[in-house]
Order: sequence, then structure tokens, then C-alpha cells
Amino acid sequence: MSAETPQTTPEQDAVLRAAIDRSLRHPVMFFFTSGAAWLAVSILLGIISSIKVTSPGFLSGCSWLTYGRVFAAHTNALIYGWAFQAAFGAAIWLMARLSRQECRSAGIILTAGHVWNAAVSLGVIAILGGGSTCKPWIEMPVNAWVPMILSYFAIVIWSMVQFKVRPAGHVFVSQWYLLAALIWLPWVFITAHVLVNGFGGNPLMAAAINAWYRSGLTLLFFIPIAIGSAYYLIPKVSGRPVHSYSLSMLGFWSLAVIAPWAGMQKLAGAPIPNFLPYVGAAATILFAIPAIAVGFNLLKTAAGAPDTVMNSPTLRFTVAGVIGLLILGLASVLLNTPGGLRLSQFTFSNYGFDLLAIYGCFSFIAFGLIYFVVPRLTCREWLSTRLIKMHFMLSAYGVATLVLFTLFGGLMQGQGQEEFSLPWESASIRSFPYSVGTTVVWCFLLFSNVFFFIHLALMWLRLGRRSTHPTLLGVAHHDDLHDLTHGPEGDIDNAGPGSAPAHSH
Amino acid sequence: MSFRQFAFGLTATFGIAWVAILIVPFFLLRSPAPVAFNEIADNKTGIYFPKSAGRIVNGEQVYAANGCINCHTQLIRPTYAGNDLGRADWGGMKLDPERGDTRRESNVFDYRFASFAQIGTNRLGPDLSNVGLRAVSAYAKGGNPRTWFLNHLYNPRNELDRQDSRCPPFSFLFDKVKIEGQKPSNALDVPVEAGYAIVPTSEANELVDYLLSLKRDEAVPASMNYAPPAKPAAAAAAKKG
Repeated sequence: MSAETPQTTPEQDAVLRAAIDRSLRHPVMFFFTSGAAWLAVSILLGIISSIKVTSPGFLSGCSWLTYGRVFAAHTNALIYGWAFQAAFGAAIWLMARLSRQECRSAGIILTAGHVWNAAVSLGVIAILGGGSTCKPWIEMPVNAWVPMILSYFAIVIWSMVQFKVRPAGHVFVSQWYLLAALIWLPWVFITAHVLVNGFGGNPLMAAAINAWYRSGLTLLFFIPIAIGSAYYLIPKVSGRPVHSYSLSMLGFWSLAVIAPWAGMQKLAGAPIPNFLPYVGAAATILFAIPAIAVGFNLLKTAAGAPDTVMNSPTLRFTVAGVIGLLILGLASVLLNTPGGLRLSQFTFSNYGFDLLAIYGCFSFIAFGLIYFVVPRLTCREWLSTRLIKMHFMLSAYGVATLVLFTLFGGLMQGQGQEEFSLPWESASIRSFPYSVGTTVVWCFLLFSNVFFFIHLALMWLRLGRRSTHPTLLGVAHHDDLHDLTHGPEGDIDNAGPGSAPAHSH
Repeated sequence: MSFRQFAFGLTATFGIAWVAILIVPFFLLRSPAPVAFNEIADNKTGIYFPKSAGRIVNGEQVYAANGCINCHTQLIRPTYAGNDLGRADWGGMKLDPERGDTRRESNVFDYRFASFAQIGTNRLGPDLSNVGLRAVSAYAKGGNPRTWFLNHLYNPRNELDRQDSRCPPFSFLFDKVKIEGQKPSNALDVPVEAGYAIVPTSEANELVDYLLSLKRDEAVPASMNYAPPAKPAAAAAAKKG
């Protein structure tokens, strides 16, 4: 996939970038902002459900707020409200920029985004109202998936077209991941919904496919979108080439080979053909290979510009997300060995693993991308260093403790479950302190994300700073630092497209 | 790597897994063949087909709508996957007065009435594969198991030995009605203001039907019985006891 890159002058390039950003401003800002709002909603529901684990009498008079419904609404809001929309914003912006194509269908994408939001809202309300199907992650009423997949296609099909008509030239590593994720998702999504909800199959196989779906959504959609974004952001902002091309290849193809087999280990011991859970466990353990290959490659790339990593909000979040990916690889090994699986299968560890993937890895890189993209879309700089710092600190420490509490608390809970000579209650007593901790951490995360949402909404209203100096986290307005943080490609053309780069003064 | 190679690689890597672990098992398992009892090994003939009664399909919908699977599983794993069979009353009854040790792991026919096997994701509460059995033999303490279940759903902490339960109350599945004339016969024996009574809704009754139907310890044909052969002395002792 290498040919002569068409030669353009930096000015033409800047004009094109500005045109692409302008064409995508509304859909991408819509996805990011409504995603951030959903994230806050999801965290609020997470707090309620987490309080209910330790105090079952809390808000219990109301059928809408019983634990089973709130918890389902919490995960659905997190996945379909926040994570999917952040992924849409990331995918369509990155694909347009990397394929050097303006978006000509912003109206359709925006409409589809509204349809998606309406479907998710109705779905979450239906779950709370008692219409849940109780199939984890597809709890929304059976019909919800049709408008969702249709709006999905209306949102991403243009990105595939843009890739198809891109100028001949190099295909970036990011594009492999984005394109693959955009193809995997409908395959996973339609298969799961048709086989679980459509055909009358064996109820156990339906449960197994449901488990595979959860794994597929994580490992074949959110993680690839996150990796694709990181492969764009880290070289771009640090101004260094990707450390190793062959490691990139290894990371991508090992994920493509391994991840489709993962997931059914959640039914270990169930009366389905034995090889299904075994293959699932083995594949999830092997997920460590792409995680380590990608994590090492990207951290090695970022390591060349340590000052930039500390000062750029984008890089700080993205590198934290890549570290999250490495920890995810480690957790996938620990939780799925025969010893780990029997402790984690029916405990909070699964929840912890999902949170690690969706919050600890995907969301951090999505935050990094949002901090990079939004100033370019709105031609304004982020308002407050302090808000960004607070968002980072609370998120990083919050998610780290959250994952520790749920993963480790889950293992403790599993220990209690395995000791069959002790009364059953000992298992829930063991996890009790961790559940209290989880509640506290969710409160901190809610605090940080409400402010993130407000910051983002102000940017969407174009109330950001009018400046050519990006909002950095360390010593501000340092010329060398500025050059490092925004190489020639990454300049923000606040003074209008094609204007002289900011650092040439 | 050309685009053609990329597309082919992607289709092949995903497609092989897709066919091997989803499509083929899905269609092969659509209707598992019934298993027959063997006259010599099982001492009876016919096919293994456990039966249930009550509004269990409706009850399962109530179970699903209220997200019971977020705390309760319905899976007794073989010992290689977990210690579920070690507990005295999960996989069956360790000391059934008539049949001895009835514990066994879950089998494919246990989920036959469901459209989706409620395997569950977390065990904040106990496994419910045999909760109907436990309600009859232990929880109800000789009383009516249906009444016990209704009381338990209304307030899981109403008994002295269940003060630490983390189960949320499902009082919204019950109606508070004004007593006109005689007290309703299905009124719960719970504290309520004078002149009123707490009666279960249809949903509560369906849910209890479903929970009472969860008795998965019937003897399985020898060909699918993975329990270790009972030691003669232990079996004799169990029979005596």
C-alpha cells in the first residue's frame, strides 16, 4: 500500500485540513458532547446501583430503581450512550483526516446520530420501566437494535467511502484499525442480535452468543477504535514516527486472528460443547499478545518526547489509555487461567474487566482525542488548564482504584464462593468493603465528568479561548514546547485556513 | 499489504471463528436429541424429560425484567470449573430423605422452557438452580413455600436469620388494598397500617411460580450422569438417616 504521496504545499494542506474540520464540526461535536452527557448519566446510575449493593434498602420503593434495572441501565448508557458515540466521533473524524476527504454527508450523519440517541434513550427508559430482556448488554427491548444498526450504517458508511476514494498513497496504521472496527462491529452486532433475539435457538447457545457479543464489542470495536486513535495521536503530537512497523503489523493481525474466538469462557461449566469456553478462555488469554505489541510500540514512540507527554492534555490521556491497554492484557491473562476463571466467572471481576476495557483504555484515548480534535473543530482553545488537569487526575486515579476494587474485590468474592464449607454469606461479606469503595470512586468520577461535559459544551458553543496557543498543562507559552506539541501537521488554523503557522513568529 | 489482502485477511480471520464457534454450534444445538433411560443401568425406560407446572414462562419474564441475573446465577458447574457441587443444597439435596444425595451439575435439558438461559453474570446472592427445592425443604420451615417466597420478595430481611441479606425488596410487585369486609385470603402477614392489606400482584405470583419450578435435581439417565458412584456405606447411611 505504498505509492508516491501527492505533493502539496503546507498551505494547501492547511486549507484542506481546515475544510475537513469545518465539514465535520457539527456531527463530531454532537457525538462527543452527547456522549459526555451519557457518560455522566451512566456514572450517576452506576452510583445508585453501587450504593444498592451495600444498602439494598436505598431507593427501593420504586420499581424503576431496583438494582437489576439500574445496573443494566448503567452499563447500557455507558456502552451505547457514551462509548459508541465517542467511537463514532473518533472514527469519522480520523477517517476523513487520514483519507484527506471532506465530509459531504454531515446532515445525514447528524440525523442518524439523533436517531441513535433516541433509540438509546428509549432503550434505557424501557430497561428502567421493566422492559429489559435481561440478556447482558442487549437488555434493550428487542426492536431497539434495528434503528441502532441502521443509524450505525448511516454514520460510518461515508467513512468507508472516504477510504475508498482516498488519494493513492500510504495507508496509515490507524486506518487499518478503524476500517477493521467499522467492518467487525456490524458483523458482531447483527450476528448476535439475529441469533439471540431472532432465531429460536438453544437457550444455552443464546447465552453463549451473548457472552461472545460482549467480548466482541469490546475487543473488536472499542479496543480497535482506541488503538487506531492512539496510533494517530501519539506520533502526531509527539512528532515522532511509530517505533516499529513490524510490531504494528503483529499487533493488528494478532488481534484479528485472536479476538473473534474470545468470550464464551463466561459460560465455563455450562452444558454447551466443552471446546467453546476453552477456546474463549484461550483467546482471551492470548489477547495479551496484541495488547503488549501495541502498548510497547506506542509507549516506545511516546517515550521519545517525555516533556510533551506531560504537557499535552491529549498525550497525557492517550498514554494513560495505552497503559490501560497493557493492564487489560495482563488482566485478560490473570482472569482466564483455569484458576482465575473459577474465581472470576460469577463475580465483580467481569464488571471490573469491562470497566478496564471501556473506561480505563477506550475512554482515556477517547478523552485524548477529544482534547485534540475539539480545538480544531471549533477554532477555539480549551478554556482552562485546571479543568483538564482535574479531569485527568480524577479520571486516572478514579479509574485505577475503581478497577482495582472491582477486579480484586471480585477475586475475593470468588474466594468466598469457592469455600463451600463456609456459609454462602461469607462471599458477599468479603466483597462488601470493595463495594463501598466502588461507590466512593464513582462519586469522584461523576464530579470530574460533569465538569468535563460543561467544558466540552462551552467549547461547542464556541466560547473557547481565541488564541493560537494551545492549552497545555505545564509551563505555558513556551515556544519550543509549542513546536513540539503541534508539529507542522498539527497546527490549529485559528487565524483562518492557510495562514502562516503559529510557531513561525 | 494491498487492500485486497487486507480485506481477505479480515474476512478469513473473523469468518473462520464465526463459523466454528457460532454458526455451526448454534444450528447443531437447536434441538438436542432426547436421551433415553437404559433399562439395565437406570432401572426404568422411556426418555428423560423433566416436567414443570405453573406460569413459569411469564414468571421468567418478570425475572428478566427485574434483572435478577445481575445477582443470581442458574448454573451448577462441574467440579473442574467451580465448587458449586460442594455446597449441600445447590446442585440438589445432599441429604434427601428419600433419594440420598441428589446433587448433580446442570444439563442442557434444565433450560428447556427458556428462550434464553439465565446463566447470570454475578453471584451476589446464591445460585437459584434449585431454589424451589430449598424453599420446600428448608426455607419454608414446614410452612407453605409459596407464602414464604412472597414474604421473602416483599422484604428479604423480615426473618431473623436473614438480617444480612443484600437482596433488594420487591415491594412494588405487591398492592396495598383497603380491606372491605373480610381480609383477602392472599394477604401477606406483614406489618401494614390498620384497615389495609398487602396482596401479591399477578407478576409476583408468576415470579413465585417460576422460582418454585426451579428444581433441577431429578435423576438423569446413566449415560449423562457424571456423579461419582455412591459409596455403598454412605448410601446405606443416607438411606437410614
